Amino acid sequence: MIRSIDKELCIGCGSCVDNCPLDTLRMDEKGKAYIAYPEDCHTCYLCEQACPVGAVYVHPFKKQFPSAFG
Amino acid sequence: MEIIKTDILIIGGGSSGLWAAKGAKEQDPSLEVLIVDKSYPDWGGLMSLSGGDLEVCLQGDSPEKWVKDFVYYWDGLCEQDVMEELWQQSHGIFEEYQRLGCTYLKDNEGNYRYVHQRSLDTVKLFPVQTKGTGGKNMRKAMISEMDRLGVKRMGRVEITEILKDVHSGENRTAGAVGFNYVTGQRILFEAQCVILAAGIASWKPSYNQNTASGEGPVLAFRAGAQLQNFEFLHIWNVPKYFEWEGQTVLMPLGAKFVNKNGETFMDRYSPKFGANTDPHYLTRGMALETLAGNAPIHLDLSAIPEKDYPIIKPKAGRQLIHYEKLVEEGIDFFRDEFEWIPVVQLSNGAVKTGRNGESGVDGLYIAGRLRSLDPGVYMGGFALMTTAVTGRQAGRAAADFISGHDRVTADTAYAEKSLAGTFEIVGKEGISPSEILEDLQKIIAPYDVSILKTGEGLTRARLQLEELRSEKLSRMTAPDPHYLLKAEEVKSIADVTEYYLTSALFRTDSRAGHYRADYPEHYDDWLCWVVLKNVAGKPVPEKRTVPIEMYKHSVERYYSDNFNM
Repeated sequence: MIRSIDKELCIGCGSCVDNCPLDTLRMDEKGKAYIAYPEDCHTCYLCEQACPVGAVYVHPFKKQFPSAFG
Repeated sequence: MEIIKTDILIIGGGSSGLWAAKGAKEQDPSLEVLIVDKSYPDWGGLMSLSGGDLEVCLQGDSPEKWVKDFVYYWDGLCEQDVMEELWQQSHGIFEEYQRLGCTYLKDNEGNYRYVHQRSLDTVKLFPVQTKGTGGKNMRKAMISEMDRLGVKRMGRVEITEILKDVHSGENRTAGAVGFNYVTGQRILFEAQCVILAAGIASWKPSYNQNTASGEGPVLAFRAGAQLQNFEFLHIWNVPKYFEWEGQTVLMPLGAKFVNKNGETFMDRYSPKFGANTDPHYLTRGMALETLAGNAPIHLDLSAIPEKDYPIIKPKAGRQLIHYEKLVEEGIDFFRDEFEWIPVVQLSNGAVKTGRNGESGVDGLYIAGRLRSLDPGVYMGGFALMTTAVTGRQAGRAAADFISGHDRVTADTAYAEKSLAGTFEIVGKEGISPSEILEDLQKIIAPYDVSILKTGEGLTRARLQLEELRSEKLSRMTAPDPHYLLKAEEVKSIADVTEYYLTSALFRTDSRAGHYRADYPEHYDDWLCWVVLKNVAGKPVPEKRTVPIEMYKHSVERYYSDNFNM
């Protein structure tokens, strides 16, 4: 799941927003990317790969699905 | 409301949508073709996230023998004529991908390396040359084709209804309506043909599977198409805390699931195949072991020879990033023990189609995973190949349809009314889509609903779904257009849950990817597909007998007979 976008590093290019398949990220009023809809992330890393300055961090663990065994 | 006119509207820009566009433009370059996708333009769908390995019946290999393997593997539920044509065409797709720059693994003599699948005699998977680059390269290849052919693309659009041609009164499509979920713009797409290539449905299990959420089958069903194979689910064996791409090559190379006592339990459930089999059977074994108190289960890779590591170990791309991040967290996929569990990934249900993806509605074609080919048992590289072939078939058929029919116009007033209905929930007080999604996940997840199914479990789930519909779904809200997308997805997932429960209760038989603990055998009177018909908006199941007398192969062997669980 996406964990953070470093606002200091972010240069406001919008690449992470443009490359998110699930519209998890948006640009704020100051022109920086932020995590608008965190529950939609499916850990594909496309945002992190698209960021030219290493501002995006996606953690490799996924959101847990309910157990089959209660 | 914006009005966009095109000859062919393709809904979904993954493998099947891209191949549909290519097929249509190559058939008739003068046609205007527009792909709309729910994600960003040109992302390439789930293909772009895939490993890229392909199933191919090479020239000189026998498509007939491939079909024979599938008849056995699918316990008879194989559209044999469709599958034979598909494997005949697979080599051409393989060649085309290579012409477009994709590369596949070869040995020192220059022969393609391959991995047999699921202990079958004939079917083969051809791995990409550099593990971790496959999906990305396929996407690049196909997008350059879209540019060359002049295919238009548009992203961030959710389609909400397939429109009919009201003027002629015929059962013919005239386009679709939808909205841009970033801007909120409502859009009418007037089209002479629509190709539905939106994938199947998931309950959003995370990682790679959260985009296709049932809009495809639901749109087709509401337009008048019939559905098929909804009793089958993709249950996948996955690490508990993260995901891993490319498991289907691990088992044939020697990987084994082991229970907490160190026992390779699949040897007990299938002395013939052991661990090297389909995830449907592996996850059933996992469920039985868990219920017997033998969890946690882990994957033992120690028997995979070093020479095969190029096939399994990521060398580039997002798969390498994922591997390295797990190492940072203290987990080396290839060295460490960690827990694996069975998880519901996808519904296997799709649309009942003709040989070229005909839906039963004139001008509406179906492509890719939305064509119901496989009954819940699945091997690596199957979807990447079948989506390409069926996409191209649908594109060509749509182009031919347009050349032989009068033009239609869409009903603007009806389109506006349809979209106004969709937007009614925006800004209202109510329940969030994510809360209802979690309820739907809890309904489908229990083992007696999804893995070792029982009439009791399925009936309980159906009552829970009815309660959810009456108490919560009717109160779902969307604060903004993004959440309106989520609400549309959740409505589709609820419908798919109903299709699933209806079909799974109806099939009192165990076969391929459907196991009823209360009907554990395959019975002769169930050599049938379960078809769902739309009767006053409700899915009504009926049997469609497999026409064995018209096919080349009789059903003599059953893959499921190799298991004693």
